[in-house]
Amino acid sequence: MSLQVVIDGLVAGAMIGLGAIGVTLTYSILRFANFAHGEFIAWGAYFALAVSGFLGVLAPSLATPIGPFSFGWSLPIAALGAIALTAALALLVDALLFGPLRAKGGAIIILVMASFGAALTLRNLLEFIFTSRPAYYAEGLQIALRFGGVRATPDALLCLGVAAIVVVAMRFLIAKTAIGRAMRATSENPQLAGLAGVDIRKIVRIVWILGAGLAAIAGIMVGLLVQIRPTMGLDLLLPLFAAAILGGIGSAPGALLGGLIVGLAESITVRLIGAEWRAAVAFVILVAILLLRPSGLFGRPE
Amino acid sequence: MIGALLSYGAFFMTTALIYAIVCLGLNVQWGQTGLFNVGVAGFVAIGAYVSALLTTPAAPGRFAGFDLPIAIGWLGGAVIAGLLSFLLGALTIRLRADYLAIATFGAAVVIHLCMLNLQSLTGGPFGIGFIPRPFASYAGEPLEFGFLNLALLAGVVLMLYLSLERLLRSPWGRVLRAIREDEAAALALGKNSIRFRLQAFAVGGAIMGLAGAAQAHFIGFIAPDNYQPTLTFQVWAMLIVGGSGNNRGAVLGAIVVWAVWAISGGAIAAIFPAGEQARAASLQIVLIGLALCAILLWRPRGILGEVKIVSRHLAGLSAQRAQPSFAVKDERLDGEKT
Amino acid sequence: MTAQALETRALVAGYERDLPIVRGVDLNVRAGEFVVLLGPNGAGKSTLVKAIAGLVPIHAGAVLINGEDSTFSPPHQKIRRGLAFVPQTENVFATLTIEENLRLAADILPNNVRARRIDELYAMFPDLAARPSRRAGQLSGGQRQMLAAARALIVAPSLLILDEPSAGLSPKIAAEVFARLQAINATGVTIVLVEQNVKAALAVASRAVILVEGEARHEGSAAELADDPIVAELYLGAAKAGA
Repeated sequence: MSLQVVIDGLVAGAMIGLGAIGVTLTYSILRFANFAHGEFIAWGAYFALAVSGFLGVLAPSLATPIGPFSFGWSLPIAALGAIALTAALALLVDALLFGPLRAKGGAIIILVMASFGAALTLRNLLEFIFTSRPAYYAEGLQIALRFGGVRATPDALLCLGVAAIVVVAMRFLIAKTAIGRAMRATSENPQLAGLAGVDIRKIVRIVWILGAGLAAIAGIMVGLLVQIRPTMGLDLLLPLFAAAILGGIGSAPGALLGGLIVGLAESITVRLIGAEWRAAVAFVILVAILLLRPSGLFGRPE
Repeated sequence: MIGALLSYGAFFMTTALIYAIVCLGLNVQWGQTGLFNVGVAGFVAIGAYVSALLTTPAAPGRFAGFDLPIAIGWLGGAVIAGLLSFLLGALTIRLRADYLAIATFGAAVVIHLCMLNLQSLTGGPFGIGFIPRPFASYAGEPLEFGFLNLALLAGVVLMLYLSLERLLRSPWGRVLRAIREDEAAALALGKNSIRFRLQAFAVGGAIMGLAGAAQAHFIGFIAPDNYQPTLTFQVWAMLIVGGSGNNRGAVLGAIVVWAVWAISGGAIAAIFPAGEQARAASLQIVLIGLALCAILLWRPRGILGEVKIVSRHLAGLSAQRAQPSFAVKDERLDGEKT
Repeated sequence: MTAQALETRALVAGYERDLPIVRGVDLNVRAGEFVVLLGPNGAGKSTLVKAIAGLVPIHAGAVLINGEDSTFSPPHQKIRRGLAFVPQTENVFATLTIEENLRLAADILPNNVRARRIDELYAMFPDLAARPSRRAGQLSGGQRQMLAAARALIVAPSLLILDEPSAGLSPKIAAEVFARLQAINATGVTIVLVEQNVKAALAVASRAVILVEGEARHEGSAAELADDPIVAELYLGAAKAGA
């Protein structure tokens, strides 16, 4: 019984973790809390919905579920499109809003304010286009698999697997590649990085693309395992921040670990107290971390 | 016809003035201490609910309902909101600006959750109704009722405005100013900046609670969904448009932005058919959101001119443009130009 | 006519728009020279070199590197024109290892020369080669300066600018630093040095420029200025009447 709580928590935590990696990346390199990150998650989910729906109409065979999963090939193909579109959206928002604000030599808090405004705009644009009715990638229920006393749907297991692969890939990218070095250097000291030959604008673009891409993947997962709603990003925002700060800003593995912890805590709380208090868990974790150890588990002490 | 127009006018101004109170409270927090509170809606909600619980008659299945006079309700709302602000501030005031933003955002989420879930206290998703309205005996005559309420709110705003201006020029206000302009120097003079900023945060929160209480009694019923991030966003837009650090700007901004909101709302409602009103409301927020971002981008230094916090890291990121940005300093709060 | 290695024309620069720290400086450095910038605190020496490197906003005037107008080029382009700048503080990436610091700098080089250059620099600075996986933040002051210099040299710059490289170092290590700089200059690299340590700097430089209140007041060969009472006055505050 309690193992089920763990599995549910890990699945939820993996989704939070993926989103949190995106937050921690943009936070550490662009140095502001992006309140609009949740909306990249939501837009990613909706982009995938639109594209996969379109593909399903074009070639109905694409909509037939693959094996034990609830979705057909239209979704993975759409996912690629959604990642590209969400990345484009992030670059657009940066080009129009955050970039100009940075260049004016502004305070970080102005960026945070702007991100709050952008979040509201993006969220309500989704609601305007798609209405607030929940949507799903596929109709029909899934049969959960049983093993070792726990139940998990094939979709959920797939998401866990994808999350694991993504995290490993991100860790490799950041720790071992030239781009990763450049990103870490920019995060520590952008002026020195420029002096060392790093093209800062390119790094900023890459950070947005990575962050938004990860957000899109997280959004598709949430859409797949739960549902697609315009407020799905807003609902995840607090857990995302909690996970990113818990893991230590700048650490991708930390963000995933933070996400898993938040997911587990939520799952346990739901079991013990009730589902209606789920959203408070992230806040409690957030305040605890900010009071006890603001640099998080793997972060650099300020 | 004239009567209806005047009635609407009174209603409009009263609502605008309620927002003005929230703005004045936010101005104490932002303008005097530079704290970016993303949980404004939460403190407005607290004021509203406390006041409602104090003044409504007892209802079955719900705690409280003390049936006290309206003034007590308003006072209670302000005090409790102020206390909770103090508590939240005590936990978070030492944090960096953006961590504080996240924490206040989280606080609003939790407050909203409590209002939804603690049904025996708050009436759950359906909220609390039958909140006593000021000048209830005039309820039958809409024009008089509207104008009496307007007069009441106008009086409250005026009193608040004068008190805040007085407060700014008082020794307490001068210390806050000193802390804002040069925290290191103020600390050297033995002023405990944390304590002063915390007090300002609490005062601001109390004022927001007062606004919530006033609104609850003006409308007559409240529900958790009245206090969403959209409300926080509206108030911030009002403060930014009006010019922060400036009490006059807070009031003016509230009236101007509320006017824009009401007009755009009316226009959009007229354009969209009845079944699409929810979508129309979303579009309205989109347009206002775009306008706010535009203001942040193109504002002359004057509107937020009080704040000159700049970031070295951001300057470094922008060094790749034609020139690095000016005023490359470490993050600090600077005061007005003398 | 061979282009100057570095030229500034009436350069005005400063952090704030209404407060220029560098007020119209003309600087001319020929290829292969070793020029030291001297001057009292606040004269604008640091700001001048930072403006040349692209870290401080330029209000007016021009900067030319090897004859090319680089006034508004972003830092990562200036490095491709042959400029390498070593700031006084925060000149290494503390959270990266020694190896990563060097590899980062070498990333702008073509593939086939990267590994070779890194090896060459390890040979030049054996202290760094000893523990390449050490985080730069854990290095001593002198080792950090070495890493900062190595980072700059790895791209084989034609123009090396350093901002007070000997600051905070013991006299012995500072002497080593200056000796190294001399050796590097001997290989043809143009060096521009900002220094407070007047005596040591004049001993290795070929020419000196003295900045006072944002303007270039005096210039001369190192030998001349070493005996010049003006220099002594600036630093010892003693005016030698009629000398």
